[in-house]
Amino acid sequence: MRTLEASSGSARGRAGLLRIDRELIAIGILGGLLSGLLGVGGGIVMVPLLVLWARYGQREAHAASLGAIIPISIAGIATYGIAGEVRIGPAVALVAGSVVGARIGAGWLARIDERLLKVVFGVFLVGVAVLLFLHR
Amino acid sequence: MSGVTLYVALVAFGVVAGVASGLLGVGGGTLMVPFLTLAAGLSQHAAQATSLLVILPTALAGTLTLRRRGVGDAGLALRFGVVGAVGAVGGALLALALPASTLRIVFAVFVCIVGLKLIYDGSRAKEQPA
Repeated sequence: MRTLEASSGSARGRAGLLRIDRELIAIGILGGLLSGLLGVGGGIVMVPLLVLWARYGQREAHAASLGAIIPISIAGIATYGIAGEVRIGPAVALVAGSVVGARIGAGWLARIDERLLKVVFGVFLVGVAVLLFLHR
Repeated sequence: MSGVTLYVALVAFGVVAGVASGLLGVGGGTLMVPFLTLAAGLSQHAAQATSLLVILPTALAGTLTLRRRGVGDAGLALRFGVVGAVGAVGGALLALALPASTLRIVFAVFVCIVGLKLIYDGSRAKEQPA
């Protein structure tokens, strides 16, 4: 609740208890909007913006994005959940695999070369773009 | 796909999406939503809602691993995400109200340009001897 007060309290510069920069607020809202709209995490917009706009290092940007996805997805689940769209069975099956995968992936993120990370993420983004064009 | 095959495929696909999520700091929804509609036969809205439910524990598991490894600032990331949550509610309400095919194309173009730039930057920086 305190964080809500803080976010409405001051919109310019560093925002009260939230203590984050204006760029982060804009990037967070944009990422959240996309997340809710397309049912994705939002990392695909947040990571590039964190690097190109907020001047984060590549590795730090990926880590910040992953953490930000936690509250963002809670908000999205609550909104969709209320609309009765969530399918529990497939979700449980996916989670069983993804939680294991996430630990492996995050372990790689902790030690991967940042330039290689850039290229891998770039390839992932182009792949996603192709997928989006095909799956309309 | 149906029955047991589908669930085995879902778990396997979950591992792939999880690795992408942990390594790239994304949710993995861009992979899961098409899979849920095409392979599991969910509607677009149901796939998106289900994907979000999977993203939460996945991001949590990845973030905990990163925290143990001392990568990034989890506290800052969470505060950053609280701001994003406001946007997420707006986006979800918007998604439930309208078909998002136009936005998907805009999104695809954006993602494609950024991807190509990253590949270019990353491969150019590699010129120096490793």
